Amino acid sequence: MDTGFMREGEVEEVSEMLRSLGLPLRVLYVRDRFIEALRGKRDAEEKRITFRETFYRVLSKEAKKEGCDVLIQGTIAPDWIETSGGIKTQHNVLEQLGLNTVDRYGFRLLEPLLELYKDQVREVARYLGVRLEASERQPFPGPGLMVRCIGEVREEKLKVLRAATSVVERALGGLRPPPNQYFAAVVEDERSAASHEAERAVREVLPRGRVQYFNCRATGVKGDNRAYGKIAVVSGGKAGTEDLFRLPEKIIHEDGEVVRAVYELGGEGSGMGGGSTNRYAVLVRAVETRDFMTAKPYNVPMELLERLCRDLLEIKGVSSVCYDITSKPPATVEYE
Amino acid sequence: MKRLVSMQIPVVFLGGQYNHLIVRALKELGVESWMIRPNVRLEDLQVDGLVMGGGPHSVNDGLERFGNLPQIIERGWFPMLGICLSHQLLGFLLGGRVVKGRKPEYGRTIIRVIEADEIFQGVGSEFVAWASHNDEVKQDGGRFRVLARSDYCDVEALRHESKQIYGVQFHVEVAETPKGKEILKNFVKMCR
Repeated sequence: MDTGFMREGEVEEVSEMLRSLGLPLRVLYVRDRFIEALRGKRDAEEKRITFRETFYRVLSKEAKKEGCDVLIQGTIAPDWIETSGGIKTQHNVLEQLGLNTVDRYGFRLLEPLLELYKDQVREVARYLGVRLEASERQPFPGPGLMVRCIGEVREEKLKVLRAATSVVERALGGLRPPPNQYFAAVVEDERSAASHEAERAVREVLPRGRVQYFNCRATGVKGDNRAYGKIAVVSGGKAGTEDLFRLPEKIIHEDGEVVRAVYELGGEGSGMGGGSTNRYAVLVRAVETRDFMTAKPYNVPMELLERLCRDLLEIKGVSSVCYDITSKPPATVEYE
Repeated sequence: MKRLVSMQIPVVFLGGQYNHLIVRALKELGVESWMIRPNVRLEDLQVDGLVMGGGPHSVNDGLERFGNLPQIIERGWFPMLGICLSHQLLGFLLGGRVVKGRKPEYGRTIIRVIEADEIFQGVGSEFVAWASHNDEVKQDGGRFRVLARSDYCDVEALRHESKQIYGVQFHVEVAETPKGKEILKNFVKMCR
């Protein structure tokens, strides 16, 4: 299913791989249905539930056409743990929420991976001799780029995100050991002031640093509860990544509504005046984790980040580039 | 073929994000483990030990969600380990107080052991752990000893004054607590 939220060339790559296995493949091009259903929606949970409903309605129709009454899907432990725990609604969790798929969609579910975490799934895949490009592939969420397009999804914003994703994957894919997941997210570059207390907390680590908030909300997890709050943008002053990683805690201690913090690597800055048509901030996230239930930001060398920043600023529409310095908890790996 | 009968240590599910990871960690230590609900009856618990998980609630909102855990903690004959919310439940039932943390911990923290105990054998006096909690335990004359603390939390680990009942505020079951497996192993040893 091409939802419109796949990465550059991904529909073709996945199709190719499945076809080479000799599976009778049919690709459903349904981008417009998703874009249409999501129009005007900004809330992360509303977007996720809309995605789920659209996804299974499309599947249900096709299943009926083909006479299928069983759907095999790769739902794993973190999916149902986070969904039933109310952290975020993963699209592939239905029965665990009490949804009867036979009544709703006309098929039964088979979910053989329910008890496993991502690292265990990889082990099974290697044991079974699944080809490396599949078993070692970095995770990509079901709703894809939708959850990295923070707030409302629009064609132009999605285009910037898709281009940024390719640049980030090329730049960070060569790190050894590789981050367990690395990607870009995009948000309108509109900010508001943070409190003096938060500013003071930041200056304890970055003497010339300052902090603002993006005018959007992102998903997090605090003490087994969902958090949907602010993204703090720290800028000014130089620091090593290890110092930067201490910032989110300091900011959250002063403002409990913050769920994550990013460090501004570069941008047009305020000196550019109002003439620019560039309006998006690209957020770069790279994490180190075993099972994705907890994760820490990957320590990417600063010079590599600076190079990456220059490349991202070349993309039309990008006004600033930030590096996510938050662990899970309090943030989640993905933004929504 | 020789069949090994392994130890049985179930995990009480309280809705926390890492409850299922405790089962995984125990299985990796060769223990037979599975999730049980808090309304399990003590007489049905034919087990070698019991681990109680975390969850999204606060003990100050009432004990209904904890099912039979108060009686099990009071009368159980096997070693017990409470993690996060269950650690707070232990602190509460053993006479301490549970309060909202002024500076809540989400993520990395440093645990400092202040009283040597077999649960912390081989992990050193200071180690990195991950925590995720809004509430915390205050001792205030409770029937327990405080074994560890951190910069932001006074009671990171506690032990019942006479029984092998332990509580840890941080998460021994997550990959980001490198010494967590060792601590869990120490607990499993007590269950033999």
